[in-house]
Amino acid sequence: MSAQSQPLSAYVTLVSNDGYEFKILRDAACIAGTIKKALDPASGFREVAENRMELPTINGVVLEKVCEYLYYNQKNMESKDVPDLEIPPELCLELLIAADYLDV
Amino acid sequence: MAAERTRKRKRNQEEAIAKIKKGKAVKKGNNKKKKGSDDDSDFDDVMDMYKKTKPLPGQLENCEVCSKRFTVTPYSKAGPDGGLLCAKCGKEMAKEAKSTVKSSKPAVRKGRRKIESNRLDGLTFRGAKTLQQLCINTLATHADDIEEFGDMPEPILNKLSEIFSKKRAMKSNTFKLFLQPDLDVVAIHEAAYLETEDYDQIFAIVPHVKKLSLRNCCQFKDSNVDYMIEKAKNLADIQLLGANLVSNDKWMDLFIARGHDLRSLKLEWLDAAFDDQAVEALTTFCTNLERLKLERCKQIGPDSIDAIARLEKLQHLTLCYQKDIPRDRVVNLIAHVGSGLRTLCLERFVDAENENGPTDELLDVIRNTCTHLEKLRFSENNECSDAGYVNLFTEWSNPPLRYIDVNSTRDLDNSNPNGPEDPVGLSSAGFHALMQHSGTKLEYLDISSCRHISHETFAHIFSPEQTWPCLREINLSFCPVVDTQVVAGIFRSCPQIKKVVAFGCFEVHEVVVPRDIVLIGAPRAQDAIEQFGQVVMDFQKEFSGVENPAGMNRVVPVMS
Repeated sequence: MSAQSQPLSAYVTLVSNDGYEFKILRDAACIAGTIKKALDPASGFREVAENRMELPTINGVVLEKVCEYLYYNQKNMESKDVPDLEIPPELCLELLIAADYLDV
Repeated sequence: MAAERTRKRKRNQEEAIAKIKKGKAVKKGNNKKKKGSDDDSDFDDVMDMYKKTKPLPGQLENCEVCSKRFTVTPYSKAGPDGGLLCAKCGKEMAKEAKSTVKSSKPAVRKGRRKIESNRLDGLTFRGAKTLQQLCINTLATHADDIEEFGDMPEPILNKLSEIFSKKRAMKSNTFKLFLQPDLDVVAIHEAAYLETEDYDQIFAIVPHVKKLSLRNCCQFKDSNVDYMIEKAKNLADIQLLGANLVSNDKWMDLFIARGHDLRSLKLEWLDAAFDDQAVEALTTFCTNLERLKLERCKQIGPDSIDAIARLEKLQHLTLCYQKDIPRDRVVNLIAHVGSGLRTLCLERFVDAENENGPTDELLDVIRNTCTHLEKLRFSENNECSDAGYVNLFTEWSNPPLRYIDVNSTRDLDNSNPNGPEDPVGLSSAGFHALMQHSGTKLEYLDISSCRHISHETFAHIFSPEQTWPCLREINLSFCPVVDTQVVAGIFRSCPQIKKVVAFGCFEVHEVVVPRDIVLIGAPRAQDAIEQFGQVVMDFQKEFSGVENPAGMNRVVPVMS
C-alpha cells in the first residue's frame, strides 16, 4: 500500500548473481520488458517496494553490458541511423540469453 | 666491457648510417618518379630550390620547432619552413596532419544499398536495434569461432538459423551448432552448403526431431531418406525445398514408412522426380495429413489433383502447378476437401484450353464449400470475372478472412493490352464486396495488378469515414489509378497499417509518410525507392506511446 502512494524513485538497482549492484535510471531500465513488468507499480511485487531487482541468472559482466545497452538505447531512442553498439564476441552468447530473458 | 660495447655500437652506427645514406638517395629517386601525379609534387619541387639544403642522416641538426639538437635519421620529418624536426615534434606534426585529413573527409555514410535493403526488410532506422538483434548479428559474423550455443531458447535458435542462412554461414561446421539432442525442430533455411553426410548427422544427433525444414537441400539424397526413415521416428512435419536427388521410389518409400504419422508436408521446386504416382502414394499412405503444400513440382499434373481430393483431414492446402490443369479437376478437388480448409492457396491455375470459355466456376465452388477459411490466395487467374468475386464475397457464410491475396487476376492477352470490355479479374464491385465481407478482420491484402479497380472505389473504401481496424499490410502495386490521395487515405483509415507497397503507381507523388509506416515502390514519390515515415500525424498522436515503446527493431510484420 505504502509503495503505491510513494512517488517512484528516479533510479533503480539491478543486482547480478555475483553481487554487483547497478543503479540506473528507471526510464532506461524499463526499456527491458521484463524489468518494466517487475517494477510496474500495479504489479505489487517486492521489487516495486524495494526499487531493486535481483537477476540470479545474469552475472556482473553481462549485466554491466546490459546496462550500457539500456543507456545507449535510451540515448538513441529518437535518432536516425544509430551506430551499432559494439558487443565483445566472447560475451555474445551469454548476453543473447540475458537479452532474451529481459526482453530487450 | 661497457667501453667495448659502446665502441661496437659506434661502429655499427657508422655502418648503418652509411647504408642509410646510400638507401635514401635511391629511395628519393624512386619517390620522385612515383609521386609524379600528386598535386603538390610540382609545387614541392619548385619550393625545394629555395629550401636550405637538408642535412643527411646521421648528422646533427637543431629542430626547427623546439630548437633542440638531435640526430637526423631517414625518418626525420620536414618542418613547416623546410627544416627538419626532432622525433618528438615530428610525431606531433604527423598527428596533426592525420586529424586534419580525417576531418576534411565527408562523414562516411553507410552504403546506400545497405540502407535500402534494411528498409525493404522492414528495419526502421529510428532508434537502436534490440540487444538481441545486436547479439545475433555479432554471432553471425563470428560464426566459425563458436563452439556451442549452450541452452538457447527455441525462438532464438531459429533466429540464429535465419541470420546464418542469410549470411551464407550455414556450412558443415556451423550447422552442427543447431543440432542438439533435445530439440523438436531442425530448421535450416539455406542448406546449399551442406553435404550428404551432414544430413545424416541431423537424424543421428536429433533422433526425436518432430519438425524438419530444409531449404535448398540440394545434396539430400535417397540414402538420407533411408536414414531418416530408420532414425527419426517422431517426424510429423517435413518441409524440403529443392531436394532433387531424391528419386520417385524413395519418395514413395518415405510415404509408406512414415505417412501415417505425417501431419504436414511441404515440397517445393522438385524438377527431376516426384510425379503423379508419388502423389498417389502420398494420398494413400499419409491419410492424417492436415497441411499440404506442393509448389513448382514440375512432374505432377492433373492426376495428382484427383489424388489430393482424397485427403479428408486437410486444413491447409497450397498448390502451384507448372502444368496446365483442367478447371473441372480443381473444382472437383475443392468440392471434396474445401469444407475443412482454413487455408487455401491456388496460384497460377490457368486453364488455357477450356472449350466452354472463361467461367467463375472456381469461385463458385469456393463459395459453396469453404466455410472456415482464414487465408485465401487466388492469384494469377485469368478467367474469373468481377461478377464472380462479387458473388463470392456477398453473403458468403465464411467468417471474415484474415489474409487475402488476389494479385494478378487479370486478362493475359498481349495483343489486347487493355483487356476485354467486361473486365477480367477483381474490379471495383468485387473489391467493394471483398472489403465489406472481410474488412473488419483483414490483416493482409494483396491486390497488385488488379488493374480495373477504379479511383472512386479506392477513394470510397479509404475515405476518412471508413476504418479498417486490423489491416497491417497492403500491396497495391500496378493499380494505375492509385494516387497520392488514395495512399494518404490508407494511412488515415487503417490505424494498424505498417507497410504499403506501391510499385508502378505513377500517380503517387509527394506523399507525407507517417511515422513508423513504410511505403515501398512509389516511383515518383521523391527519389528514394522507399520511404520510412518520420512525421507524427495528428491522428497518430492518440496511439503514441501505446505500441513499441522500447524502440524499434522490426516494424513491418512478415505475414503468413
